[in-house]
Amino acid sequence: MASQNIDPMLPTMQNKEKKVNATRRKDGHSVTMRLQRELMNVMMSGSTEVSAFPEGDNIFKWIGTVKGPKGTVYEGLSFKLTLEFPADYPFSAPTIKFKTPCFHPNVDEQGNICLDILKEKWSAIHSVSSILVSLQSLLGEPNNDSPLNPLAADTWNNQAKFKELVHEFLKKNSKNKSS
Amino acid sequence: MAAVQSGGNAQPSKTWELSLYELHRTPQEAITDDTEIAVSPRSLHSELMCPICLDMLKMTYTTKECLHRFCQECIITALRSGNKECPTCRKKLVSKRSLRPDPNFDALISKIYPSRDEYEAHQERVLEKLAKHHSTQALANSIEEGMKQQALSRQQRVRKHHPLPSDQPQGEEPMDDQPPPSLPTPEVIPETREGGPSRQDAKRQRAVPGESSSSETGVTPELGEPSEPPEAMEVPSEIELVFRPHPSQPDPSLLPVRYLKTPTHAWIDHLAKYLSMRTSLEAKGSETSPGSSSQRPLEGNTEFTISVANQTGQYVELPGNTTLEQVNENYWKLSKPLELYYAVKQ
Repeated sequence: MASQNIDPMLPTMQNKEKKVNATRRKDGHSVTMRLQRELMNVMMSGSTEVSAFPEGDNIFKWIGTVKGPKGTVYEGLSFKLTLEFPADYPFSAPTIKFKTPCFHPNVDEQGNICLDILKEKWSAIHSVSSILVSLQSLLGEPNNDSPLNPLAADTWNNQAKFKELVHEFLKKNSKNKSS
Repeated sequence: MAAVQSGGNAQPSKTWELSLYELHRTPQEAITDDTEIAVSPRSLHSELMCPICLDMLKMTYTTKECLHRFCQECIITALRSGNKECPTCRKKLVSKRSLRPDPNFDALISKIYPSRDEYEAHQERVLEKLAKHHSTQALANSIEEGMKQQALSRQQRVRKHHPLPSDQPQGEEPMDDQPPPSLPTPEVIPETREGGPSRQDAKRQRAVPGESSSSETGVTPELGEPSEPPEAMEVPSEIELVFRPHPSQPDPSLLPVRYLKTPTHAWIDHLAKYLSMRTSLEAKGSETSPGSSSQRPLEGNTEFTISVANQTGQYVELPGNTTLEQVNENYWKLSKPLELYYAVKQ
């Protein structure tokens, strides 16, 4: 409890946050409700392959986890993602990025993901869990025709080499981030 | 899908496509006798749910071709804001006219859940209350917890026959079995500003000014922020306080002397909120268990102002956004507990 006392020093930040909340409140009620229901569904599903939870008090920002699918070069790895929901969710797609460095034909160095259902093929019935499951299968079945990471796309056919690069990429970029 | 596109809008020439499954399945027999079929609440719920808002269907609209159901509001918004296709199966939905209202389904739902409006109103109230009192509740819980702990340690001390100096903080000393860096009694004032960022948010926001990426352990020397790792932020320095009734108070016995230990970056606002919360909890407590407190406490919802005596002995009211660190720096600087004076707000 004591640790919650941290931020009285940040009055300006608080005001900003308040303003954002106020603009959302008008239509935000149903969005919040939907997100709360999704959270419940995710928690009830008991899936060990994918999981997600809001980051802090803001239900518009979640952290998700996807396990590398079995039988692929990603097996044994676990990837964290950030999910940010727009104020008109679910009518617009959430912004999803890999937080854990991910060497993959459809993921760039910043973690941006190229996946049609997150862009023009978005549909309001997609949910956090359906997206995470889609992302998990994207890991094992990349779309090499429109790569964000050309090296990864070119290497895909050489799975042994690809696996090496996955781990190298992970090591290299995790190091950069912490230094 | 191709067939639908070629048909234009002429209704009679419309062709319906059946999937292989639909072509080959055996039709379900209609139940004509008294057979009852049990359906689990969960599968029932998924039948009656709108896949967009994930709530029960409200003013059901059904797509004419693929027969998927949505709330009227949900599907209209979806069509307006996105592709003109069925959210469930991506079949083309040209316009609102590709949908029809489904009053039968609404009737079915109200048959199964007759008290739906009531339930919704209840849920609404609960959510509203939660949003409003979330932070206040946290503070109340914390104080209540603190009071319990105090009572506990008081009992312990009585049992041990420790002499209790009259003007000593009651129960504010650390209990023996507690590790030193933690707070003695949880008379701790949590962050209570509504809508304010949580601690985690604050941490994140602090990292924003200098850092472009997500280096959470990174050092942020700009803005004069203390460049310490997050762990260090969780053990802030603490200050001991004594609250005495302000001399201007007509009945000082209503305002007992209070002792408190709290992080130095707490604001006067926090303390004022704490005082009023504590007062109202005591008021509540004396209602339920008479005799526990000798004096008649103040009503709940009493607000307080907080002052400090300056060198010339005058009482200066402190503005709400002053931190205790500042107060200590400007007025006190002694190794004794900081003495503050509180008064009922007029």
